[in-house]
Amino acid sequence: MGLSPVPAPESRAELDAVSPNWVTTKLSALINWSRTRSLWPMPFGTACCAIEFMATAASRFDLARFGMERQSFSPRQADVLICAGRLPFKLAPVIRRVWDQMPQPKWAISMGACASSGGIFDTYTMVQGIDTIIPVDVYVPGCPPRPEGLLYAILLLQKKISGEILTDTALREEQVLGPHGLFLPPSKIDEVSEPFGNSVHQTRSA
Amino acid sequence: MSISPSGSALQSRFGAAVTRVVESCGDTIAYVNRDRAHEILAWLRDDPGQHFNYLTDVTAVEYRDAERPLEVVYQLRSLDRKADLRVKIELAKREPLEVDSVCDLWKGANWLERETFDMFGVRFRGHPDLRRILMWETYSEGYPLRKDFPLRGHFSRAEQTRQALAGNPEAHYSLEELSIAEAFHELPADMRDRLEKGERGKVG
Amino acid sequence: MLKPYLPFLMVLALAVINAIFMLGLSHTLSAVLKTRRLTPTKLAPYESGMPVLGDARDRFSVKFYLVAMLFIVFDIETVFLIPWAAAYQQQLPLRGVLLVEMAVFIVILAVGYVYVWKRGALQWD
Repeated sequence: MGLSPVPAPESRAELDAVSPNWVTTKLSALINWSRTRSLWPMPFGTACCAIEFMATAASRFDLARFGMERQSFSPRQADVLICAGRLPFKLAPVIRRVWDQMPQPKWAISMGACASSGGIFDTYTMVQGIDTIIPVDVYVPGCPPRPEGLLYAILLLQKKISGEILTDTALREEQVLGPHGLFLPPSKIDEVSEPFGNSVHQTRSA
Repeated sequence: MSISPSGSALQSRFGAAVTRVVESCGDTIAYVNRDRAHEILAWLRDDPGQHFNYLTDVTAVEYRDAERPLEVVYQLRSLDRKADLRVKIELAKREPLEVDSVCDLWKGANWLERETFDMFGVRFRGHPDLRRILMWETYSEGYPLRKDFPLRGHFSRAEQTRQALAGNPEAHYSLEELSIAEAFHELPADMRDRLEKGERGKVG
Repeated sequence: MLKPYLPFLMVLALAVINAIFMLGLSHTLSAVLKTRRLTPTKLAPYESGMPVLGDARDRFSVKFYLVAMLFIVFDIETVFLIPWAAAYQQQLPLRGVLLVEMAVFIVILAVGYVYVWKRGALQWD
């Protein structure tokens, strides 16, 4: 039993045919404003970055003033999945399933070096960046990122959401696993996971 | 620092089965034969003078020099005497890596031996449930902590991701195992009595 | 006779109308405006990201039912004590009879209480 691919979504031809006009622009602005000001995070905290996430949520840096008052640990009521920490291969189906169970509209923030690229863990256990598994909107560098870094990422995400257009249905399409059971094509995954820097010396054995 | 009395007691009791006893950084290490290892470990646990009732760890070591054998390491502790002992079994790499399980001596060895099997491929004869514990159960790339296993694994990243996404972490478990109410009749008799009487926090 | 309660009735009616309006509006609006992007995984129950194992319908322990039943019985006994106490205070000549009657009532219930206690129904574990 795994994560099953899904048939092509129904066409939203009526909505696509509407050209952006004054009404849709104002409506977009209202919807985006309400979405950006009430992003409920799902803290998918696995490691050290989760501690920094907690620090950002606590009183000194306070996530609540950005609308993230209620952190949802169930994907059903969450808007943004914040993957804070390294992701082992064993946990990959879990994050994929949690991402699939989040209702649209949903975004993802990849917090920290490990979630963005595998970080210092270029090993047999770690996923080399969660963007090989789920679509990511904002990446936060750092090991761990400072709370200011995560706050900047949230502001960037808010900026990205503010630029969304109501009549663009492609935005809210579910990006499912492909026919080969992968989110990205295999060549792409190998390309983004190529060793670099110190990792180049760690491909030998014995 | 000198060798602890357990080392000399082992040598006098088992003779040739204990190949050598060394001391390193304050720790006593006893190298034993694989064939009598289970007997020796049982004696170490049961003998009143030794009484190593706590198994701290079971692990394995493969050295960088390929000629050195692979060692299975047992870290023992006597809680009453507050003494430590390390027991090692040397296994030639060309032969099958098999050792007798000590689950019947120390219950905690169950998962420790599973980890050693997962990381080094050492099989434990008589283990009730020898399967992978850290990697997923259908992991087919090999044994990660062996020296001939590259750090990034044997398969390509795409293949590793694909296998990981196809995995079902709870495939081994049935609902009865996960729910104590359903599996009540399969529990050991003393645990059943304790649960029925509603006792909590009673030790011993 | 009920005239002082008229404003209360109006508030009640307003509350009911308001609730129906708000719920109905959100229900119909969401049914019309929602996007239907359902995948099989999205519809599956949430089990911390794991595949679903088993049914959510478990057996409940009977102790919850027992405690609820016993509470009802003894709570009603308590409820009967209250008007009895008011009557007892006002009826001066009948005090002896009233006391004996209530004592009989409480003794009957006390027998039931001792039975429940000895049968172990008050044991939570």
